[in-house]
Amino acid sequence: MCQSDNIYLPHLATIEAVVDETPDVRTLRLVFQDEEVREKFNFRAGQFAEYSAFGAGESTFCIASPPTRKGYIECCFRSVGRVTEALRGLEVGETIGVRGPYGNSFPIENFYGKNLVFVAGGIALPPLRTVIWNCLDLRDKFRDITIVYGARSESDLVYKRELAEWQARDDVRLVKCVDPGGNGPDWDGKVGFVPNVLGEAAPGAENTIALVCGPPIMIKFTLPVLEKLGFADDAIYTTLENRMKCGVGKCGRCNVGNVYVCKDGPVFTAGQVKAMSREF
Amino acid sequence: MPLSITEQNLRQLVDTLVKERKLVVGPKLTDGLALYQPLSSGQELSLAKLPRRSAKELFFPICEDILSFEKNKQGTTVNDVDRSHFPEAVLIGAPPCDAASPAILDAVFSWDYQDPFYLKRRERSTIVGIGCRQGDDACFCTAVGIGPDSDNGSDLFLTQLKGGGFACSVVTPKGQALVDSHASLFGEGAAGQTRPFEGKLGDKLDLAKIKKWLDEHFEDPLWESIADICIGCGACAFICPACHCFDINDEGGTEKGTRRKHWDACGFSKFTNHASGHNPRDAQNKRYRNRIMHKFKYYDDKFGKTLCTGCGRCIRACPVGIDIADIIGTIEAK
Amino acid sequence: MNAKAQKPKGTGIDPGYYDGVTQAIRSAAVKLLQEGEVATVVGYLPGRRNGTAGPALVTSVEQAQKLVFSPACVNNLSLYLTKAKKGVLKPGRAAIVAKGCDLRALAGLMGEAQFKREDVTIIGIACAGVYRSATNAGTPLTEATIAWKCRECTVHTPEGVDVVAGTLPELPELTPAEALEIARLEALPQAERWAYWHEQFSRCIRCLACRQVCPFCYCEQCMCDRNRPQAVEGSPRPAGNTAWHITRAMHLAGRCAGCAECERACPMDIPLNLLNRRMAKELKELYDYEAGMVPQEKTPLTQYREDDDQSFIK
Repeated sequence: MCQSDNIYLPHLATIEAVVDETPDVRTLRLVFQDEEVREKFNFRAGQFAEYSAFGAGESTFCIASPPTRKGYIECCFRSVGRVTEALRGLEVGETIGVRGPYGNSFPIENFYGKNLVFVAGGIALPPLRTVIWNCLDLRDKFRDITIVYGARSESDLVYKRELAEWQARDDVRLVKCVDPGGNGPDWDGKVGFVPNVLGEAAPGAENTIALVCGPPIMIKFTLPVLEKLGFADDAIYTTLENRMKCGVGKCGRCNVGNVYVCKDGPVFTAGQVKAMSREF
Repeated sequence: MPLSITEQNLRQLVDTLVKERKLVVGPKLTDGLALYQPLSSGQELSLAKLPRRSAKELFFPICEDILSFEKNKQGTTVNDVDRSHFPEAVLIGAPPCDAASPAILDAVFSWDYQDPFYLKRRERSTIVGIGCRQGDDACFCTAVGIGPDSDNGSDLFLTQLKGGGFACSVVTPKGQALVDSHASLFGEGAAGQTRPFEGKLGDKLDLAKIKKWLDEHFEDPLWESIADICIGCGACAFICPACHCFDINDEGGTEKGTRRKHWDACGFSKFTNHASGHNPRDAQNKRYRNRIMHKFKYYDDKFGKTLCTGCGRCIRACPVGIDIADIIGTIEAK
Repeated sequence: MNAKAQKPKGTGIDPGYYDGVTQAIRSAAVKLLQEGEVATVVGYLPGRRNGTAGPALVTSVEQAQKLVFSPACVNNLSLYLTKAKKGVLKPGRAAIVAKGCDLRALAGLMGEAQFKREDVTIIGIACAGVYRSATNAGTPLTEATIAWKCRECTVHTPEGVDVVAGTLPELPELTPAEALEIARLEALPQAERWAYWHEQFSRCIRCLACRQVCPFCYCEQCMCDRNRPQAVEGSPRPAGNTAWHITRAMHLAGRCAGCAECERACPMDIPLNLLNRRMAKELKELYDYEAGMVPQEKTPLTQYREDDDQSFIK
């Protein structure tokens, strides 16, 4: 199978573990069945893959585990349609297909020696989580790390265990929040929308890179906040998610103007996003 | 050295290639409808009408299997499609608007990732183009830099002669190989006079000027006015020699099934629909704009080519009379 | 609307007839726009290519003066008033140019609450017929070039409209080609009939022009676009194509206006109207019902009556 030149043929992977992050969001930990693939599979933070539930189809998610951890990969998705429902219906030990890694990636090496600010909302934490762990695994290379993460409500927060880990670390500043009304009685984080909470946390822009991922509405309100804090367009990175099918630049579905999200992205700077045609 | 072939020998060439177990595809007329189809004899080759669909399906089929899968107690097996059986093929009778398109599509199907389904078929096929002798007012090949005598994309190019027969021009080594292996069917000597082209074709449009307008007018009332009328079917995209969007679906069941890719169209309302329900191109004007932009700007931005051969099929097939030649002419005149 | 529909007799078509219709449409449209009675006129404008015409949403007097009627005016403009084309009625009332077949669609759509009668001014065409194929554009309308639906039309003269455009010329009696074809197919043994349709559907490329051009296919999510459950296979293979066309004919039964636009729009020349016509024949035989003759909400397939024919339940 690995020898085939069929670019649409996935690697087979076994589901090693399942974590229900929220009532409708699940993480799958996957191990490739073929030994050579297990050893050779390599990716960079920000890249994505096409995950198959055979019989239902393929769905596009980022590779949510960091490239610094070997032997497995993870994906994290919300059940919204036929394929994600089917993926959710699979159990530990069952097989899914993985095609990838595709797309470009965060230029982590360019961030060495800088402060990092991660801003994420809801189900959009996974694409940044891979970068966060990639950086934490190389902690000495970076200066201050700030994470601003929020969701609609407490139960909608993903990676709850890791949020606790990050909160407990003294080399990471975690600012977590939920939308007004989303906080339970024991909530110990902020209450407010992510862009506002970010504005209050006011991380400095000097020698800092901001990485943002969230639903379009959150990005829309977050970019001006970062601009006000002094971030230049090429110091802000985001990852766009468009409807993708082939993942390899052929089926014509994911383009934003002349930019193919699957090939030219999904990682872009704010400057690149601003230059794109208004259709995302 | 000028080459020629009689019509009888051209049909004989088809017969010979069929006997050699090659897949010979050419225009075939059935009940008045011409379509590119596998030919079983030279008699079936028809040069009277432009086939209703383009020749792209020889390389990019309407629907094809890309893998199959099966689940049992031992686990899941996934099987590739055996491409070693893709036949050696000869496309005979493609007018320039059809012969030019594979050369345009090669770029996207080999953009970093090599699509073996398309590329293997391309590798194994030879294109015998035939100069066009009549057009109607939907044809606009000259507007986009092709023309009734363009050998662009053909391996061997035939020009119809007054009094019958064809002058042959070898364009590529594949064309030469086809001639060499069937040398007895080809003649030598002065070609004779070319049959004149019947019909009126316009001048070449300034495609760079059109692209510049598109670069600068992502928002423009033009898109509203055309798209008010567009009903969002896929007729234009499907019969177009250059359109190549596709969908991938699993069919069968979860225990056993096949994954297929098949034609799709950016004009369909849910083409860019996200699972969240968000749709970046949620109105027909945005979708139609994408069509024009892709053909006359994006493909050029990425691959340096125009994604249109001016065959006019979309104009003839559009149920509501949208005329792409009129649109680009209007843009050029702005 | 067309409750008293019947076939007129006559021979030949006066060429000046089309000019008369065109002038009537233009003056009505201009007046309606000038007086602010409508914000949009849905009519036909000439195309670039000789003898062609296509749908247009006209909002200015200048454009309204260019509206035409010719045998190339094949489109069923009622399509532009359905929910599928949401924007048209938003700016205000609309006028719509409608042939008899289109009028049947308008009546049906009103019955289905797609729009209200008071929202539209109907310019009804006294229609002599339109082309069978787009390739006929620029040639005279003759027995050889007239659409099959026109050969048997019973709604040449519009009723219940606000403006009647044109005077119907004497029309020739034409052989009912479509009825003859249906009879031919019905006379075939089932296996041959199935083979015929299998061959037709194997040419289908699922461009869905048939659906998109049909005024009654306005479902927010078409059953063939659903994947939970996947009722119809998405890839254009014979079995899925057959399922698609049969299901669509069933969904249109009792609603289809017989405008035959589906057949005209099909780029693969599949005779789709035969299916719809056959279903219409069933409705007539079982329930003495013809769709679109008057706007009505309750039709045989949208209501249950105790005295409904149930003989087909064996």
